[in-house]
Amino acid sequence: MSTAVSLTGGRGSRIRRAAGIARYVLTCWKLNLAAAMEYRASFFMLAVMMFVNNCIWLVFWAIFFNRFPAVNGWELRDVMLLWGISAGGFGWSSVLFGNYPRIAPIVANGELDVFLTQPKPLLLNVLVSRMSLTAMGDFLFGVAIYALAGEHTLIGAAKYALGLLISGLLFLFVTLAAGSLAFFFGHAEGMAFQLFNGLVALSTYPTDIFKGTARIVLFTVLPAGFISYAPIGLLRRFDGTFVWLAAAAVAAFGLLAVSLFAVGVRRYTSGNRMAMRG
Amino acid sequence: MLALEVEGLVKTFLVKRKPEGFKASVRSLLRPEWTEKTAVAGIRLKAEAGETLAFLGPNGAGKSTTIKMLTGILHPSSGHARVLGMVPWKERAALAFRIGAVFGQKSQLWYHLPPADTFELLSRMYELGRADYLRRRDELVERFELGPYMQTPVRKLSLGERMRCEIAAAFLHRPELLFLDEPTIGLDVIVKRRIRELIAERNREEGTTVFLTSHDPSDIEQLCRRAVVIHHGTVIFDAPVERLKREVLTCKTVRLKLRDGARLLEKLPGGVRAAEAGPSAWRLSVDTTTASIEDVLAAFVGHCAIEDMTIEDPPMEDVIRAVYEGKAGGRPAEEGTV
Repeated sequence: MSTAVSLTGGRGSRIRRAAGIARYVLTCWKLNLAAAMEYRASFFMLAVMMFVNNCIWLVFWAIFFNRFPAVNGWELRDVMLLWGISAGGFGWSSVLFGNYPRIAPIVANGELDVFLTQPKPLLLNVLVSRMSLTAMGDFLFGVAIYALAGEHTLIGAAKYALGLLISGLLFLFVTLAAGSLAFFFGHAEGMAFQLFNGLVALSTYPTDIFKGTARIVLFTVLPAGFISYAPIGLLRRFDGTFVWLAAAAVAAFGLLAVSLFAVGVRRYTSGNRMAMRG
Repeated sequence: MLALEVEGLVKTFLVKRKPEGFKASVRSLLRPEWTEKTAVAGIRLKAEAGETLAFLGPNGAGKSTTIKMLTGILHPSSGHARVLGMVPWKERAALAFRIGAVFGQKSQLWYHLPPADTFELLSRMYELGRADYLRRRDELVERFELGPYMQTPVRKLSLGERMRCEIAAAFLHRPELLFLDEPTIGLDVIVKRRIRELIAERNREEGTTVFLTSHDPSDIEQLCRRAVVIHHGTVIFDAPVERLKREVLTCKTVRLKLRDGARLLEKLPGGVRAAEAGPSAWRLSVDTTTASIEDVLAAFVGHCAIEDMTIEDPPMEDVIRAVYEGKAGGRPAEEGTV
């Protein structure tokens, strides 16, 4: 009676399933954008305000570098590109997978129920079901910074795109891993929020101002270093070791986040709170 | 063919215990105390394909927890279940293609978008062919009379309009089994009746198995052929709804408010007794096995100056109490069902 496709067996079936998921995700993004544009004024205001907010920080750095032209080898252009990669990476990941900073409250408030009754991969379904409006401003800011201070060659654009990919995935996976702790500890919202804020803040300062333990932390538990060192290790000169380590960090945090979520769902306790999709 | 088969299903939760007061809060922070709460205590149940089954019980009886296990939302602590031949918590995604779920308190409609957009998304979610989707959507829009609402953002719909859209959306992929968890909660009498009619129609025309929880006895009377009552997480009654109606749902409450100075009948009709009496407001209990509700109303309307009047079913708690007192003779869980 059902018109659903078979989920088992065969390469053709797997391809059909992947195509079905891709069509679903694209429709989700399209509707997220449509929902955001229901409030046009708010949509543009939020995006523009975030763009302006980032610009103010850059003005601060411009004033700083005007007095001290170089800090541990970092120049204004490097800091601008650092912001371009950090804000841009945060931007695309929050636009396309806007629920990742909200995983902890979603779990704690029992809002996974509706997603769990739907036939799409749970984590992907949850992540794509929301789009952050302010993050649009962040992404556009990142692209504008690249246009202003980046290397305008094919290789330069590819390196910047790789930086955005690493940055966005690290934001996504680290925050998702922290948020998934809500399956185990209940109210993990505060901790996940603090970790997320710490990651965002630390990813916008030049890596080389941190020494010793702080630097170790930046390249391990709170891997902001893989974002903030990208202007030097990826854009200024292609440092293969750094790029491979950054890719390994993305893979490790990705594995950790997905595993925590998958194991955590078995402990999910639901809830009776009223919920509606935004 | 069995639509669902449940054997010894148990779900326990750990609940933190904290006495009131600040000191207790500090103590709880250092040495939290946990108690195990059993929400579902070994439910045993079978349902045939095409059945309309009412799953009843007071608040906290374990109805929603059971539905959540049968839809794959929760993993059970122990026990077995097969829904359409699949283990829900192990084959969740595959099962989701073949079942539907409507939670009265949790919406799958997008709040800021019109229902038409959610229908579009659901067509992708359930991987419906384009032509099939459009045909099915138009059919549901017509049957559920959704035409005027399809282009209106959900936030601007009334609760009744939203629930009609919600239930129509749940039927979009032609589920073989539909779980409805209090779908009529908060709706007015007319909307409730329409929703029941629409669900019954889908059951008749498409053979959809309906698994319904509700606190409203009218939902059960008008929609379901079988009633399963659970209490404290176990099945205490399982029998055709006809028997429940005949043996338990035999009483309706009529509330009358009379105009100033008006008087009630000198002698109440047979089968009617005054449960509460005031100078102008009365609560009357009508035994529907000896008096028809129409005759009783006709008697009052013809002879009294009535300002306001309501008719109510007995609350679910009374139904449960009656089941406990043995007024209805359903089969207990241990003997199995169907």
